[in-house]
Amino acid sequence: MRLLVFRTGLPRRTELILGLAGLFAFLGAWHLTAISGLIKPQFLPTPWAVVEAFGRLFIERNFAGDIAISIGRVWAAFTLSVVIALPLGLMMSSYRAVGAALEPFVDFVRYLPVPALVPLLIIWFGVGEASKIAVLWMGTFFQLLLLVSDDTKRVPGEYVESGFTLGASQWQIMRDIIMPAALPNIVDNLRITLGWCWTYLIIAEIVAASSGVGHVIWSLRRFVKTPEVMAGIVAIGIVGLLTDQAFRYAHRRWFRYQRR
Amino acid sequence: MAFLSIQNVSKSFRTDDVETEVLTPLSLDIGRGELVTFLGPSGCGKTTLMRMVGGLESIEAGQITLDGKALGPPDRRRGMVFQSYAAFPWLTVRGNIAFGLKYRTDLPNAEKTAITDRYLDMVGLAGFADQYTNRISGGMRQRVAIARTLASDPDVLLMDEPFGALDALTREHLQQQLLRINAAEQKTTIFVTHDVEEAILLAHRVVIFSARPAQILSVVDVGARLGTQRDEALRQSAAFQSLRNEIQDTIRIEYARAREAEEAHAV
Repeated sequence: MRLLVFRTGLPRRTELILGLAGLFAFLGAWHLTAISGLIKPQFLPTPWAVVEAFGRLFIERNFAGDIAISIGRVWAAFTLSVVIALPLGLMMSSYRAVGAALEPFVDFVRYLPVPALVPLLIIWFGVGEASKIAVLWMGTFFQLLLLVSDDTKRVPGEYVESGFTLGASQWQIMRDIIMPAALPNIVDNLRITLGWCWTYLIIAEIVAASSGVGHVIWSLRRFVKTPEVMAGIVAIGIVGLLTDQAFRYAHRRWFRYQRR
Repeated sequence: MAFLSIQNVSKSFRTDDVETEVLTPLSLDIGRGELVTFLGPSGCGKTTLMRMVGGLESIEAGQITLDGKALGPPDRRRGMVFQSYAAFPWLTVRGNIAFGLKYRTDLPNAEKTAITDRYLDMVGLAGFADQYTNRISGGMRQRVAIARTLASDPDVLLMDEPFGALDALTREHLQQQLLRINAAEQKTTIFVTHDVEEAILLAHRVVIFSARPAQILSVVDVGARLGTQRDEALRQSAAFQSLRNEIQDTIRIEYARAREAEEAHAV
């Protein structure tokens, strides 16, 4: 069977096998490098050592609790971003005055590197939960606001004009036409933005936290427990992958009508 | 006064301090239940005029009255069907057709259902009621849009090259269906097209527009020439063919004049 066919799909089974092959090739190369003695084990443990460390994290250090705390922070901040960005983004694209008033400011804030804001946010909110949620919120809200504004702006003019000539008011058009028309793209952008949340979370937890995945990884570093540090990173990857798959599944279910 | 009356309406667009005239002051009266086609070269301004009737473009000069009252922003009285099938993909065929009805507080739910069923039948989509619109063909999607507009019972039906994106056979089928619907509903209709045969076949009157800035070149009373009985066989008749040639000549001469004027302007 030919594998390299230009811009053409492959059977699902073949794709699965190729995906697993890629993963195992990576793990194999890693294992061989680790046992070759070229790199000291405290810098590069074997994959199996990381798996063992993964088990130890859960059994000896109650890592599941830290993961739960981190997930809680991510979702609290993310929900706060979404509930404000959805209506405000819709307003920005619907009324030029709102867009014109907010866009320059939002563009400015959007380019501020979130880690640079951490010291300021700690001065404002202390080292408790509030500052962590503020960091995540700053990192996602302004991006999300512009994405929602763009997604709703891209709803075809004919849809909106049809709405008017069918007797809908501005408010009804926003609720019954613009929102459902833009929702598939918005949900896609939510999925991507949620991924960024994890990046900012680890920064927030490394700087000032006594719990959470970032805190655990950072404190293990002090004892050069490289397998545990790597296991912590893998855990974040797994949580991210599961969340992403859940979003994709929900997208397929909710927007079934997009399938031909 | 005519049911729909366009009086001395003109329009120009400003871009970068350049004023482009789209419509020279023009007037047109359309009677209740009449189907008028707007025929003219692409981009001449006929769609702009129709959109002004629909309230989708502002009226800066002149006025348009419906039943004696000046028109304002878009509403349910002027239903619009677009060339790009604007059927909503997140709704089923039935959901689309019922869309406008959900804003009607004056109708009981049972009647809304009855109206939806009636128009589902009228456009022959009863068997597809629960399908989402991206699983049906372009022609069917346009029938959904037509049924959706008719279901909210507009006083005027505005159609902007609705069959322009369809293949020839589907277009013919939809033209016949529109003739049947129009015979049953007697809706006052403005139908914009650049297809001469389509303009004649559907119309009581054909309004021929010049190149931009648009003015009315002539109004052809098709009813007086071909009668009110319309079907596919009419297309083959000598009277139809001679009328088509006549209109085509008018347009051809206009095209040549516009091109000459443009070239002279360029030099």
